[in-house]
Amino acid sequence: MGLFDKLAGWLGFKKEVNVLCLGLDNSGKTTIINKLKPSHAQAQDIVPTIGFSIEKFKTSSLSFTVFDMSGQGRYRNLWEHYYKSGQAVIFVIDSADKLRMVVAKEELDTLLNHPDIKHKRIPILFLANKMDVRDALSSVKVSQLLCLDNIKDKPWHICATDALKGDGLQEGVEWLQGNPSRVCASMCVCVCLPN
Amino acid sequence: MSEWSGDDGKWLDAHYDPVAGLRTFTSCMALADLSGDGDGRLVVADLGGGASAASMKLKVYGGTALSSESVLLDLPCGLVAFFMDLHEPRIPAVAVASGPCVYVYKNLRPYFKFTLPGLDVNTLEQDVWQEARDGHIDPPAIKEMLESLRKKADIPLSVRSLHFLSLDDEHLEDFVQLHKQQPIKRQTVITCMGTLKKSTADEDGVSCLVIGTESAHLYVLDPEAFVILAKVALPAPPTMLDVTGQFDVEFRITAACRNGNIYILRRDLDKPKYCVELSSHPVGLVRVGKNMVVGTTDQNLQGFTQKGKKLWKVVLPAPICTMASMDLPARGFHGVLVGLANCEVHLYKDKNLVSTIKTPDAVTAICFGRYGREDGTLITTLKGGGLVVKILKRTVEFQDRDSTPGPPAAQSIRLNVPKKTKLYVDQTLRERENGTAMHRAFQMDLIRLRLAAAKAYAKALESSLTPVSSGSGRSLKMNAVVQGLGPSFKLTLNIQNTAACRPILNLAVSFLYDQSLYRMRNPFLKIPLLVPGLVYPVQTLVECTSDKGISDIIKVFVLHEEQSTPLLTAHINMPVSEGIN
Repeated sequence: MGLFDKLAGWLGFKKEVNVLCLGLDNSGKTTIINKLKPSHAQAQDIVPTIGFSIEKFKTSSLSFTVFDMSGQGRYRNLWEHYYKSGQAVIFVIDSADKLRMVVAKEELDTLLNHPDIKHKRIPILFLANKMDVRDALSSVKVSQLLCLDNIKDKPWHICATDALKGDGLQEGVEWLQGNPSRVCASMCVCVCLPN
Repeated sequence: MSEWSGDDGKWLDAHYDPVAGLRTFTSCMALADLSGDGDGRLVVADLGGGASAASMKLKVYGGTALSSESVLLDLPCGLVAFFMDLHEPRIPAVAVASGPCVYVYKNLRPYFKFTLPGLDVNTLEQDVWQEARDGHIDPPAIKEMLESLRKKADIPLSVRSLHFLSLDDEHLEDFVQLHKQQPIKRQTVITCMGTLKKSTADEDGVSCLVIGTESAHLYVLDPEAFVILAKVALPAPPTMLDVTGQFDVEFRITAACRNGNIYILRRDLDKPKYCVELSSHPVGLVRVGKNMVVGTTDQNLQGFTQKGKKLWKVVLPAPICTMASMDLPARGFHGVLVGLANCEVHLYKDKNLVSTIKTPDAVTAICFGRYGREDGTLITTLKGGGLVVKILKRTVEFQDRDSTPGPPAAQSIRLNVPKKTKLYVDQTLRERENGTAMHRAFQMDLIRLRLAAAKAYAKALESSLTPVSSGSGRSLKMNAVVQGLGPSFKLTLNIQNTAACRPILNLAVSFLYDQSLYRMRNPFLKIPLLVPGLVYPVQTLVECTSDKGISDIIKVFVLHEEQSTPLLTAHINMPVSEGIN
C-alpha cells in the first residue's frame, strides 16, 4: 500500500472505488453484494435485479461503490454504458450451471473486447459462486472453461465462493483491495517525483 | 467439439452428448418448466432402440444431465406439455399419446389415462366370434369366414381378427381358446397431438388436447374432465397438426393429412374450410405468425396464408428430416428451423435463409425454446442418438435479406426513369411515321460502307502493299521475316510455288533500299528451281549503318529473268536498330 493511502486511511478519508458487478442472471451477484454489506444493512429477500442498483460498502482502506447490474439477457446491453466509470470488475459465475458456461464466456469475451475495457488495466475478480450446490464445478474448472489464462494484460483472480454462507468473499475483496491501490500507488509516485 | 460446430457464428455450443441414446421425433419432444422455478426442462418420449417395451422411456433433461426417466407402456407418437388446471404453482402436465390412449403425467407421475372411444364393429364379424365362443365352428372355418369378410365388408375387421388371419394353422386353435371369451373391439390409434388454449390466450392458460386419429378424426378434449368437446371427420388420417386460437372464442386447426393435402378447420367445426393440395407429401408443418410453412418430400419449403393461398416456394439442397418453429417474442423474431438430411439445420425467416447450423449427424428432432434459464435454446437430437444443445447469441441480428447468393438487392430497386420529354415524344412519332425511309437510308449507307471497304481491299491487293502477297499471274507466294535486334538483321524470305505441278525457273530477288541507312551483303539473289508446294527460305544479312535510331522500308522484288516488271513486291518495315555499332 502506498504512503498516500495509508495517510488517507489514518485521516479517515477512504479512497472511493467504482466496481462493476457483472454476470449472468441467477448467478448470485446481488446476494454477494448483499453479503458484503454490514450485517444490519443486509436485505432478507433477494429478488432478480431490474436494470441495476447501486450499493456502497467499506473495507479497512477503501470505500466501494458497486454497480450491481442485472444479468438478464434483455438488460445485458446496459453493462457497456458503465464500463467507462468502472475501476474494477467483479464477474460472478454460477458454477452449477454447466450449460450456460458458454454464455458466460461469450459475455466475458464481449466485455474484454469492449473498447472501454480493452486498453485499461483494470482488475477483474472472478467469483465461481454456488459452491454449495452438489455438482458444482471447481474454480479451476471454471477458469479453464472461461479460458481465463488468455487474459494477459489485466490482473485477475478467481475465488470459489458460496454467497449464501459468505465463504470465499473476503478473500476476493482483499485481493480487489490490494489491486486498485497498487494502481493508485504508482500514480502517486508519478505525482510525487517533481517534489 | 470444434470440428463440427461449423455454424455461422450465431450460436454457442452449450452441450453435446453423442451417446445420449435418444431416439425420438420432433412430435415427441417438448420444453416445459416442470418444476415451476423458471428453469426450462426438456421432456422427451424416447422410442427406444428396439421393439421391446422396456426401452421406451419418458426422459426429462435439466441442464446438461438427465434428471429423471420413467418407463412408457407403449410406443409414443406424440408428447405435449400443457396446463390442465389453474392451480399454483403453475406446473404444466405432460401428455404422452401412444396407441389409442393419452397418458397424462403430473409432476412426472402418472395421473390419468384417456382412451379413445371404440369404433363400430362389423356385426358379421361379431357373429363369427359369437359362433366361435359357442363352439359351433372350428378355427379353419372361422378363418375362411373372416377372410371373406375382410374382402367385402365396409367396416374393416378388428385387430384381433386381422391378427388371427395372419397366424399359421397350428396356432389358430390356441388363439381362439385364448381370446374367444372377450368381446371384440375395434380401436383406432392416435397419429398426432396438439394443444389448444381453452378460453384465454395467456402463456399459462388452460389448454385442451387436440388429437388426430388413424380413423381420420380430430378430437378436442376437455383438460379437466377429459371428455370429448368436439369431434370432426377429415377426408384422410392426419399426420401433423397445428392449432392456434382459443376453443371458446375462435380457433383454427391446420392438419396435414396422409393423402398429401392440408386441411384448415375453423371453429364452426364439421368439415374442413380450406384445402391445400400439395404436389408431394408433407413432412413438416409449422405456423409462423398467420402463415404456415410446409416442407414436402420433394425438398421444397412452401409458405401458405391461413386461407391456403400459396405465397412462396424455396427449393432445399437436401431432403427434409424434420421442422420446428423458432419463436423469440422478446426480439419479435419468428422463423422456421428445418433439419436436412445433409447434416444441416437451416433457419428460414419467411423464404430467406438466415442461418445454417452444421450438425455431426442427420437431425431427427428439433425443439426451440426456453431451456434452463436461456430463452433462445435450440435442442436437436441426432440419428445416432446424440443430443445437441445450442444457445443463440445475445447480440445476433438476423438479416431480412437472404444470405445465399442470388440476384443482388439492387435488382429490385426501381430505376428513376426520367419523364418523357417533348423531344422524345416527337422523335418516337417521327420514327413511327418514317420507319421505311429510315431503314432504307440506313441500308444504303451500310452498302456504301461495304463497297468502300471492298474497294480499299482491292486496291491493297493490286498494289501488293502487304508483305504477304501472292502474285496473280504466277502462282507464287512469299512472306518475309526480319530477325535480330540490330545493327545486323537477318532477312528471310520464304518463297513458295503454289502451282499444282509446274515448277518455276529463272527467278531472282532484288532489293531496293536507302543505301545511306542499310548495307546489304547480297542485294541480288538468284533463286533455284521452285518445286511446287515446298517452301524455300532465302536469307540475306542486312546491316544498319545509321546510329540515329531510324528505320526505313526495304522493298523486295521477285523478278523473272525475261520480264522487266516484278512478279511480286513486298515492303518490309525494318525495325529500329537497337544495338550499338
